[in-house]
Amino acid sequence: MRFVWPLIWFVVLAALQLTVVPMISIGGGIEPNLVLALTVFYGVRYGKITGSVTGFLFGFVFDLISGGLLGSSMFAFTIAGFIAGYYFKEDDFANLYSFNFLFILLYAATVSLFIYALIVYSNINTNIVTLFFERGILPAIYTTIFGLPVLFLKPKDVIR
Amino acid sequence: MSKNFFELKEYLVLAVLLIVSLALLPFNENPQVKNLRTYAFGYFAFVTESVSEILDVLQPSEKLKKEKKINGKLNLQVNLLREYGLENIQLKKMLQYYDTSKYSLVTAKVVSRLFGGGNGNLILNRGKKDGIETAMPVVDEFGLAGIVTDVSNDFALVRSIRNSNLKVAVVDQRSRVNGVAEWNGSGLVIKNIPASADIQPGDRIITSEFSTIFPPTIPVGIVVRKEINVNGLLGNVLVKPFSFPSKENFLFVVKYIRNEQIDSLKLNLFLRK
Repeated sequence: MRFVWPLIWFVVLAALQLTVVPMISIGGGIEPNLVLALTVFYGVRYGKITGSVTGFLFGFVFDLISGGLLGSSMFAFTIAGFIAGYYFKEDDFANLYSFNFLFILLYAATVSLFIYALIVYSNINTNIVTLFFERGILPAIYTTIFGLPVLFLKPKDVIR
Repeated sequence: MSKNFFELKEYLVLAVLLIVSLALLPFNENPQVKNLRTYAFGYFAFVTESVSEILDVLQPSEKLKKEKKINGKLNLQVNLLREYGLENIQLKKMLQYYDTSKYSLVTAKVVSRLFGGGNGNLILNRGKKDGIETAMPVVDEFGLAGIVTDVSNDFALVRSIRNSNLKVAVVDQRSRVNGVAEWNGSGLVIKNIPASADIQPGDRIITSEFSTIFPPTIPVGIVVRKEINVNGLLGNVLVKPFSFPSKENFLFVVKYIRNEQIDSLKLNLFLRK
C-alpha cells in the first residue's frame, strides 16, 4: 500500500498538470508544477533518499507521458526531492504542515525549475538571469501557491 | 561512523540517479525510446482525455468548432492567394511550385499539453487510425502550430512551434528573405540574418518552399523587430507567432503529402535517422 498512494496522487496531479494547468498559465508559459510540489512533499515527509527516488520515478514517467525531453524532469525532480529531504525530521512534522513547507517548496522549486530550464534551453543562447527569473523564480512562486493546501492537512490526515 | 555512512549513501544514491537522468538525455531520438514514449503517452492520454471531457463545459460548442475549422481553411487559402498575388507581381514562374491548394485538415482535440519551462508539446486525440503520420504539420485557425513527432493508434504527439527543438524554414512574404525560425523561450527568432536584409517590422513570415518538412506558405508570424549584432554584419529577427497552441482546445492536422522525390534524396532532415 505504501507505493499505491504516491502512484494515485501522481496520476491525478499529472493529469491535472497536462490538462487544467496550461489554462491558468500566465505570461507565456509561467505555470505551477503540481508533480514537483508532490515530490517536495514526499521529500520533506520521508527524507533525502525517498525524495530523490520519488522525484526520479515521477520525472521519468512524467517525461514519457507528457512528450517532454526524457531525462529533463527526472533530473530536476530528483534534485527537488533531495533538497526537500534535507528538511525531513523524524517523528516531527514541524516542516511539513506549517509555513516552513512553503519556504522549502519555494526553494526546491526555484532550484529545480531553473535547472530544468537550463537543460531544456541548453541549445539556445539565452540570458541566464532572465532564465532564472522567468523559468525559475516566477513558476516556483506560482507552484508554492499550490502548496498552500498542505497547511490545512493535519498530521493524521497525511497524504500517504 | 554509521551516520556518516548513511549520509554518504544518500549522496551516492543522488549521484547515481542524476547520472542516469543525464545519460538518458542524448537518447531522446533513439527509436526504442520513441517507441516507449509512444506507448506511454498513448495510454496516459486516455486519462487526460477523460479529464478533458469533464472540462468540456468550458470548451467551444460543435458549431464554433466547425467555424474554427472553416476559419483555419480560409486562413490557409487567403495566405495562399496572397502568395500567388505577390508572385504574380514579381513575375515569378511557378513551374516547380508545390501543389498546396488541396489542404486536407483533420480536426483534433488537444487532450494534453506541456508548456512548463516554455517548451511546448501537445497530445491530440487523433492517431494512425485517422491517417495521421509523423511529420505532418499542425495548424490552428491563425497559422502554424507545430509538427507531429510521434503517433500511436489513437493519439499523436505534437512538438509545438513554441519548442526550442523545432526549427522552421521560413521566408519573409514581402521581400523573400529566407531564414530559420526557432523558439527562444519567449518568442520566435530568425538568427544570423544579414544586417542589410530587407526585413521590416510588420512583415508576414510564412513557411518557405525550401522546407523539407512543412508545406510552403503556412503563416508563421509577424516581424516585431530586427536586432543587429555588435559586429554590425548579422542580426536576429524577432517574430511574434500567429498561433498560440497552449490555449487552443482544437487544432488541425494538415494531411500534407511530402514530395517523394525529395524524401528519396534523403533531404528530409526530420525523417533522417
